[in-house]
Amino acid sequence: MTSERDAVRIRLTGRGGQGIMLAGAILAEAAMRDERYVTETQEYGPEARLGATKADLVVANRPIAFPDVVRPDLLLCLSRPGYLKYGRGVAPGGLMVVDDRIAVEEDTTAEGAAVVRLPLRRTARELGDEIATNIVGLGALAALSDVVSEQALAAAVAARTKPEFADLNARAVAAGLALGREARRGGRSAAAS
Amino acid sequence: MALRLVMGNEAVAQGALAAGCDFFAGYPITPATEILEEMARLLPPRGGVFLQMEDELGAMAAVIGAAWGGARAMTATSGPGFTLMQEHIGYAAITQTPCVVVDAQRSGPSTGQPTLPSQGDVMQARFGTHGDRPALALTASSVRGAYDRTRLAFTLAERHRLPAVLLLDAVVSHMREPVDLPPPPPPARRTFAALPSGAPRFGPRAPFVPFGVGEPTVVTGLAHGPTGATGGGSGAFTADTLRAVGEALAADPDVAAAVEAYRTEDADLLLVAFGITARAAREAVDRLRREGTRAGLLDLGVLWPFPAAAVAQAAERARAVVVAELNLGQLTLAVEAAVAGRAPVYPLLRADGGLLEPEAISRFAQGAATGEARAAKEAMAGA
Amino acid sequence: MPRLGVDVDCYLKTEALPTVWCPGCGNGTVVQALALALARLGRPPEEVAVVGGIGCSGRTPFYVRTHAMHTTHGRALAFATGLKLARPSLTVVVATGDGDLLAIGTNHFLHAARRNVDLTVLLFNNGIYGMTGGQMAPTTPEGGRTTTSLAGSAERPFDAVELAMAAGATYVARTTTFDMQELPLRIEEAIRHPGFALVEVITQCPTYFGRLNRIGEAPEMLLWERDHTEDLHGAGEGLALPALTTGVFRQERRTEYTEAYRALCAARGGRYGDE
Repeated sequence: MTSERDAVRIRLTGRGGQGIMLAGAILAEAAMRDERYVTETQEYGPEARLGATKADLVVANRPIAFPDVVRPDLLLCLSRPGYLKYGRGVAPGGLMVVDDRIAVEEDTTAEGAAVVRLPLRRTARELGDEIATNIVGLGALAALSDVVSEQALAAAVAARTKPEFADLNARAVAAGLALGREARRGGRSAAAS
Repeated sequence: MALRLVMGNEAVAQGALAAGCDFFAGYPITPATEILEEMARLLPPRGGVFLQMEDELGAMAAVIGAAWGGARAMTATSGPGFTLMQEHIGYAAITQTPCVVVDAQRSGPSTGQPTLPSQGDVMQARFGTHGDRPALALTASSVRGAYDRTRLAFTLAERHRLPAVLLLDAVVSHMREPVDLPPPPPPARRTFAALPSGAPRFGPRAPFVPFGVGEPTVVTGLAHGPTGATGGGSGAFTADTLRAVGEALAADPDVAAAVEAYRTEDADLLLVAFGITARAAREAVDRLRREGTRAGLLDLGVLWPFPAAAVAQAAERARAVVVAELNLGQLTLAVEAAVAGRAPVYPLLRADGGLLEPEAISRFAQGAATGEARAAKEAMAGA
Repeated sequence: MPRLGVDVDCYLKTEALPTVWCPGCGNGTVVQALALALARLGRPPEEVAVVGGIGCSGRTPFYVRTHAMHTTHGRALAFATGLKLARPSLTVVVATGDGDLLAIGTNHFLHAARRNVDLTVLLFNNGIYGMTGGQMAPTTPEGGRTTTSLAGSAERPFDAVELAMAAGATYVARTTTFDMQELPLRIEEAIRHPGFALVEVITQCPTYFGRLNRIGEAPEMLLWERDHTEDLHGAGEGLALPALTTGVFRQERRTEYTEAYRALCAARGGRYGDE
């Protein structure tokens, strides 16, 4: 069984329609391709669109007992309601990757957690379709945290998305990874606002 | 190993195909809908029947009709639909119809919190239909477990000629884990041997022979004799049949084998749970062990017939027994009866749509072991 | 029954007689007509299943020597749908009453008709709940007296024929137990019809409907049936009361559900069906 120490707990949150459920499955697939243990669970409201949805993952080197995430080490946040709901719950020393269009305040952010605001949505839009914001976000999260390898993420994206979006998604992964790497080079504090 | 990332509900569909399921009737309901969608995708290329019915009453009725048409039939639903199916679950019991019902439990009563987990159908699975009957209810706490228990549900439904229930919860249904599942076998038409003229159609040892094979059969929800005919001692025959089926089920080693013991060999603090709560309890056991408490867990892969012997045996060494469940104390009743005073039983209950987390379980269990909870319980009893 | 011209005994469980039905009840007439229709069609009993619901008519499965299923209240059509889809080679006949089909089971009735599953529904319509002792049914005529409408029903009754037509049934007929020439012919046509077929049979319940509405015993009720129905083609008497029309209201070909499902499977490489 896994101990609390060697597991990474991840939460992805956004509006219904932003592809959070798909992003959760992709990230879990990537962790599996990295030959790690992984569980992925989801929570959503009655809304197929809007509302605040989340996908929770545990990634570990040993079998995982409890799949639910109480305090995530990593949070990817694509919507303001998601941020307001889960921003404070990040574990001390944790990392939040937040779309830069979301206003971030001190009193709704967990203490001791780093916040990296990145132009995830704008980047996806520049690539041709805002729909790929979730994929850009996964790329950024992977580059900033090493929770999954770049190769595994790219392969998981290809395996779990429709072939007609293969090109867009491949470019979205690359752009997200680049955003994450750049933020990492600049230091998390510099990227944080 | 060919690992695939599979959702609990997808594993149910794969397990059903592996068991030879060739008929599914259902109605959409969260959090069971993916089972319906998977069967709609998987059955037609195999020549199996997928039928979306007008409601859950009709779905369960169609499943029973299909079973008598010779199909391996199943349905899947959640609490509200499970309630609507109860009359027909009773019908399947009295007519000795093999079939499988999956209930992905969600928070209730009524619409409740439809996307949140619950374990509130423990007693519904046992006593939901009117009258009384032998009940079989399996559970699963992992994606692999959902696959294995679905297969087992079909095996036991056919072996004992009864409706088998698999109780999941919203978390296990929607959870993805890497698993290595074999590809489903090619579809195979079932063959049945016609019974000799006058041979019993009903009763504890009568084989199940569907319509269209041999002499005409009559099936009825009325009390009936071995030929299906009513009257003339049929009340006693039906009661004896149901009792004998229940006894055979309780003595089935495959039923007992569904209980998973985790670190119980030397445990003096026994945790009892199932489904997603058992996953939390497993982590709680590890925490307690690190803190020096010899804790162990029984993950009840079967709830009905209740594995009383396994619980009683594990409780023999225990100073305290903790039951963790997402309801107001349903499983606790059965555990208390099985423990029968060997150790004090402490229920840890939650029914608001949230989960019991490992830390909450370990803290509560520690209290039970050290007597704090005992004092609190006695104080409450005295108040 | 020597005058029927064919052997119907092979379809009837004579050892189960007498029936639970009251003397003078019309249900036995319908069962006899069903046996005659099966005999004329030459369907072997082991290739036929009769599915009944709950109520007086629901007991039909106990008196036929075919495969038989006596199910739950209102759900016979849902059981029959599952049975027919699992074994499409079976001829499936559903025996149901007006309470069974048009109150508790209306939903299944509408959807089975919509799907056009190859089932023959015999609706035993006596305008009242007989098994429970004479309560108001969704078919009780306005003003009709029952134990729950002693002052006369204030409700508008359902018309099963209209409902079936609206829901998409492809064979729809109404007849009476008075017309013993027509009744087996309609059942025969309905079974032969590839698709969802409804034969509504106006039948007498002397014990409750006849007594409470002061019509009389079975003979008077049969005459009442004659006088309160009018042939679709206008051959009826001038009637004082609003008449129920009898005849074949619809007989058309639309893709039957098991055929449609076979095609659906085939398009995805699957082989469905007995053959």
